[in-house]
Amino acid sequence: MNQSVPTSAEITILVVDDHASVLSGTVNILQQQYPNAEIFTAQTAEDAQAQVHQQKLDLVVLDLSIPEKLRDQAQISTGIQLLRTMMQEHAALNIVVQSAHVKSLIRLKPAINTHEGGFTIADKSLSMQEMLTKVDWALQGLMFTPKEMRTGLEVKPEWLEVLNFAFLEGLQDRAIAESMNISERTVRNYWTKVQDALGVYPEEGINMRIQTEIRAREEGLID
Amino acid sequence: MALIGGVILVRLLGLLQNLEWAALDYGLKLRLPEPVDERIVIVGINEGDIQALQSYPISDRDLADLLEQLQAYRPQVIGVDIFRDLPVEPGHTELSKVFKNNSNIIAIERILPGRSGFTVSAPPNLPDEQVGFVDAVLDADGFLRRSLLGASNLQGKFRFSFTMRIAETYLQDQGIFLTNGILDPEAMRFRAKELHRFQPHTGGYIRADAAGNQILLNFRSGPRPFRQVSLRDIQTRSVNPEWLRDRIVLIGVTALSQKDLINTAAISGMTPGLVYGVEVQAHAISQIISTVLDNRPLLTTWPDVWEYIWIILWGSVGLVLGRLSPSPTKHFSVIIILGIALIGFSYGCLLLGLWIPLVPALIAFGLNSIALYAFHLYDQGLKARIQDRQMVIEKTFDALHNGPLQTLSALLRQTQDQDGSMLQLNQNLQTLNQELRVVYEDVRQELQDQDRQFTLGRDLRLDLKSPLHEILYEVYAYTVQRNFPCFQTLKVKVVTFEPLDSRRLNFENKRDLCRFLEETLCNVGKHAEGVTRLTIVCGQSKNLNFIRVEDNGISHSTIPSDPNSTHQKGRGTQQALTLAQHLQGSFQRYSSAANGTICEIIWPIQKPWFWQR
Repeated sequence: MNQSVPTSAEITILVVDDHASVLSGTVNILQQQYPNAEIFTAQTAEDAQAQVHQQKLDLVVLDLSIPEKLRDQAQISTGIQLLRTMMQEHAALNIVVQSAHVKSLIRLKPAINTHEGGFTIADKSLSMQEMLTKVDWALQGLMFTPKEMRTGLEVKPEWLEVLNFAFLEGLQDRAIAESMNISERTVRNYWTKVQDALGVYPEEGINMRIQTEIRAREEGLID
Repeated sequence: MALIGGVILVRLLGLLQNLEWAALDYGLKLRLPEPVDERIVIVGINEGDIQALQSYPISDRDLADLLEQLQAYRPQVIGVDIFRDLPVEPGHTELSKVFKNNSNIIAIERILPGRSGFTVSAPPNLPDEQVGFVDAVLDADGFLRRSLLGASNLQGKFRFSFTMRIAETYLQDQGIFLTNGILDPEAMRFRAKELHRFQPHTGGYIRADAAGNQILLNFRSGPRPFRQVSLRDIQTRSVNPEWLRDRIVLIGVTALSQKDLINTAAISGMTPGLVYGVEVQAHAISQIISTVLDNRPLLTTWPDVWEYIWIILWGSVGLVLGRLSPSPTKHFSVIIILGIALIGFSYGCLLLGLWIPLVPALIAFGLNSIALYAFHLYDQGLKARIQDRQMVIEKTFDALHNGPLQTLSALLRQTQDQDGSMLQLNQNLQTLNQELRVVYEDVRQELQDQDRQFTLGRDLRLDLKSPLHEILYEVYAYTVQRNFPCFQTLKVKVVTFEPLDSRRLNFENKRDLCRFLEETLCNVGKHAEGVTRLTIVCGQSKNLNFIRVEDNGISHSTIPSDPNSTHQKGRGTQQALTLAQHLQGSFQRYSSAANGTICEIIWPIQKPWFWQR
């Protein structure tokens, strides 16, 4: 059930990093992977904010330690604030956060949990291939957070409802959406959230829905 | 404020008395010369006279001759500032006769033992109206600043001073009579001029001896305040008769060898600090008749309360200044200008006869403005140094971040792309990466403003300026990971943290809410046996904010359905109730349907809610 985004897709990406060398490195890798992609860059929070407003972006790759303006001090809090506003204003934006400061993201968990777009976290020290995987997942609208960010199994009540409708009543997404009085898109978003909570990610030869059911029963989310 | 209090205390202890006296003397001395008071003439028996007489003390006959000669000029009053309790032959009978026949001649006595230990009687057989005492009250520093108008003698009989007798006699002849005061019945008064009695705390005085009826001495300024002639001038009739006619004539000894001297610092003269007794009498008489006839001011003071208000006021000015002023040059210019203004104002007051507390006000002002400013400078220096250090730390991290950490990231990526043989190295590099970042975070958080933080455990500090639901989420995330027995069985947490309207909450409220959530979760960890599911909802509905924590464990401790009903409330419950009260909300703890416990705090938002960016 791996539905990778085709590498030939015509997508727009914004890469935010205050280090020119890292920036060009990331841009190179992304350009190689997605030759048809249009890639923008920003080195400050201010610039990134402006670009997110101006154009319709498919993906933002964001380093958390950035300055507000040029010549300002690079600070994680600046990146956190930028991320917070981006999620508030563009609920469907796909985001990859590049940072080693996973702990400082914990406070944004309530916002990340309600974010409708893809959201993945890629440590800067990840291998290139893993990084590209996280980019791909984000473009798919999936959610990935590393273990350090989680406090055991944590879910939201509406995700549990989705699991119950699907595995106890055997409903399909559309029927679930009707029952819960939400959009099908939102149901899919809840799936990816609960899958992240259960640690179920796209893998070769794995049926994610079935894998999710197995894990949910293991954890006692459904009886 | 402590400094102002200190200045007042020091003043009350009398430690500033000498300085205040000195300031008064100096101020009086600096005044412009006043015109000669022609109403008073001093006949001074000087060294030349004594040598010419070939005897001392001057004999009764010589004195009687002098008085007869003077009477020929028809003066109004003659004051004899020479003791004549005992006959100084020859001529005693003649002198007695002169005293007796001329009611305008006033003689002297000493009514109190004083330093000399003896009293001195008036010449015998003189009526009281012709006798005045010459006792003087000196200040602790030996200087004369007060004038005695009347006092009781050793027999308890009220006596008038020589000064008062002469002034009274002189004014009486002008149709002005001595009466009692209106404001103060014990004070003396001529027409509307009440001679305000000196009090123990008048002006700069602290617990002074105010016995009898005293007033402050307002010396007549100038090098020659009175006309002065010698005995020989009279004997040789070389004195303009106009100088003596209808005047007050004072006869006294003006020879340094005869030691009839008084210390004063308020008069500038030939012999600094020393004046003859007869001159002092002239000053004292002159100040009374001048105030009655010429409206010349007497020396007055403010009531004590006003004096202290004045001191506090100047201390406060210093206090404000000490906190305000930016640059040292500006600051000290302002201090100097205000200091000069204060001195100038005090001097101006003195010219009008008002003695205000200059020294204490100046000290309170100076101490506050300078000491506080020094403290302020020190404080600023300290802040600047802290800021510098903060900069160094930030720069250090910048350097770390831009240099080694970037290299490290690149290295990590490279090694990971290689095969497994590099795994160990990669792991070590990962550790190093974390360690480097932890150093920075630790140092930085240490420096952050403690007031706006909520501290969890030993190493997590939350910024209370962040959105409340985010802070609460962090409190939750941290607390459920703590090592409590009941958390072992916990399988799933169902959480909803939605934005709360926290506009009317201050940092203290937020901190209390964090504490509430932490406490509640700790209780679950400690008491909710067999808990598998923890449900936390934090959000708002309509115009209420709420935080609800529900567990499905079995709590052994008896939980009352109404937390108000028990008097065995735990500290946590008590705190929660207090918090709810502060927020005008409510706190509840009750058993859930699934045998668990529900803890809930609800409080009104007050204002219509809308999401603010």
